[in-house]
Amino acid sequence: PFSGEWTHDSAFVAHGSITAPVNRKLEPLGPHFLAHARRKRHNRTFSEDDRI
Amino acid sequence: MSENPEVNVAEAEATPITIGISFGNSNSSIAFTSPDGKAEVIANEDGDRQIPSVLSYLTGDEFHGQEARNQLVRNAENTVAYFRDFLGKSFAEIDPTHSHASAHPVDADGKPAFKVKEKDNAPASTLSVNEITSRHLRRLVTSAADFLGKPVKSAVVTVPTDFSEAQRAALIKSAKAADLEILQTIHEPVAAVLSYSAKENHQPEDKTILVCDLGGTRCDTAIVAVRGGMYTILATAHDYELGGFKLDEVLVEHFAKEFIKKHKSDPRTNSRALAKLKLESEAVKRTLSIATSAPLAVDSLHDGHDFHSTINRLRFEMLSKKVFDDIVKLAEHTVQKAELDLLDIDTVILSGGTSHIPKIATRLAQIFPVGTAIHAPATDTAALNPSELSAKGAAIQAALIQEFDTEDIHQSEHPGVTVAPHLAAAIGVVVSPSADEAEGFHILLHPSTALPARGKAEFTVSADGDVVVKIAEAERYIHVTKPEPVEKPAKEEKDEDEDEDSDEESDEEEEEEKREKKWKVKGVLAEARLQGVKKEDKVEVTVNAAVDGGLNIAARVVGTQNGVRGVIKPSA
Repeated sequence: PFSGEWTHDSAFVAHGSITAPVNRKLEPLGPHFLAHARRKRHNRTFSEDDRI
Repeated sequence: MSENPEVNVAEAEATPITIGISFGNSNSSIAFTSPDGKAEVIANEDGDRQIPSVLSYLTGDEFHGQEARNQLVRNAENTVAYFRDFLGKSFAEIDPTHSHASAHPVDADGKPAFKVKEKDNAPASTLSVNEITSRHLRRLVTSAADFLGKPVKSAVVTVPTDFSEAQRAALIKSAKAADLEILQTIHEPVAAVLSYSAKENHQPEDKTILVCDLGGTRCDTAIVAVRGGMYTILATAHDYELGGFKLDEVLVEHFAKEFIKKHKSDPRTNSRALAKLKLESEAVKRTLSIATSAPLAVDSLHDGHDFHSTINRLRFEMLSKKVFDDIVKLAEHTVQKAELDLLDIDTVILSGGTSHIPKIATRLAQIFPVGTAIHAPATDTAALNPSELSAKGAAIQAALIQEFDTEDIHQSEHPGVTVAPHLAAAIGVVVSPSADEAEGFHILLHPSTALPARGKAEFTVSADGDVVVKIAEAERYIHVTKPEPVEKPAKEEKDEDEDEDSDEESDEEEEEEKREKKWKVKGVLAEARLQGVKKEDKVEVTVNAAVDGGLNIAARVVGTQNGVRGVIKPSA
């Protein structure tokens, strides 16, 4: 499924950035939100959180 | 030695438990989560799982639930019902429509209150809505504690999405007066979604869900986006003129007309006869959700006449068509409000007592494409009981947070934690050779996913050689395939002749045009090249979207060291 001529120097090339995200409110319930709140409070990333 | 085990047993029994409460205008429910993780709704001492939110006073005794509700006939003025929505409001703000058949709300220093005779030989006392709520919650908690054999000190309570801060505060204050700590108030539609996701062991797929909470005196709808197991409400709608009471009215009118025909007098002119007919009509409505016909029998309904009748489901459905139409309209309106198409809705959850009616589920199923899951008893054999969804959701959340400090719970509800950036467009991999091809897009992160988020997918390589992975943003569009235009001229002629008939026919024509949901690539964000990949190899693509909108991308041939990583900076 992937193809195309490769004309770049490096193996990765960035073309642009994502459309600006919109602020919305999460519903504070369920196990995944509680994990999200925990990460946010302790300023952890996903992978740091996975290790604990 | 012999005393010790006993002490331990007593201690274990004394460990307070946190329950889930769904507190409605018409009915309330109590639920708990058993040690094996299953949420269950508790029946009170009358055996009811849907406990009417009604309190009644007679000869010094307080009645609650169904017992109190039965007193709407003989002791209406000392019976308090439909008070939940009065909480935290001023007297001027409330709509007392539903209280006409019971104790009327009175103005007490600008706040709604009820005047009831608690004791026979004493003057009537004025009970604030807060006081009534306290008494109601206390009775609910007592029923739960009796069933569980454990003290109940705290609860998670469900509230509608349009409940104001003042209403929440009034609820928490009323609970405190009943020695109940409300750990959290959660939104009814999300509680319903939580009940279903518990069924999937909390590994829910990304879905967009329409929740229709069809209650007794109001209907509330919400669009809930489930992304990575987290819930975001995209839109809500409310109709305070719609609900089970409308269907009761339909039946009351039907039976009253029949009574008039037989006895030449109208039972609706007498409040007691009307109360009897209302109660029985509601019972008939419930029966019609499970049986195709239902009997009605009221002894000495009016002017000393007994009344017996039956109605079948088909007749009821015909009489209720307008109410069903309004429910469908409310659902459609909510989808529009979220700026979505009916095709964007993956699942519809029907919640609330009125959701038991089979016709409502089938009518809703008709507006959605085949394959949209409609979770209601009539359309899904594995559906959960719609009346129990809110209470169960509350019980699940209660079990999750009962070990937490109150401080932690309040902190996690803080906007600093709950407000998060959500993706405006879908992010995924362009699978087809040309970026303009709409079909060849594989979504890694859906629109409205809260950041940070991560998405991952595997692709099988079709030929030896280099592989180029294109990460792109895409927009959903609705592709319409018009039906064959051959019949057109004939139809227009008809239009002029007979208006209504041709309207219906053209509706049918429109149904034949095919509407599909497709993805259009807006722009390629990044490309990565993997060299020397063999046919049948698997390529794993991972994207990590950061809170600032930056994107980490990794592509890797599964089981090898062959991989590429890269970063896209957030827009300035």
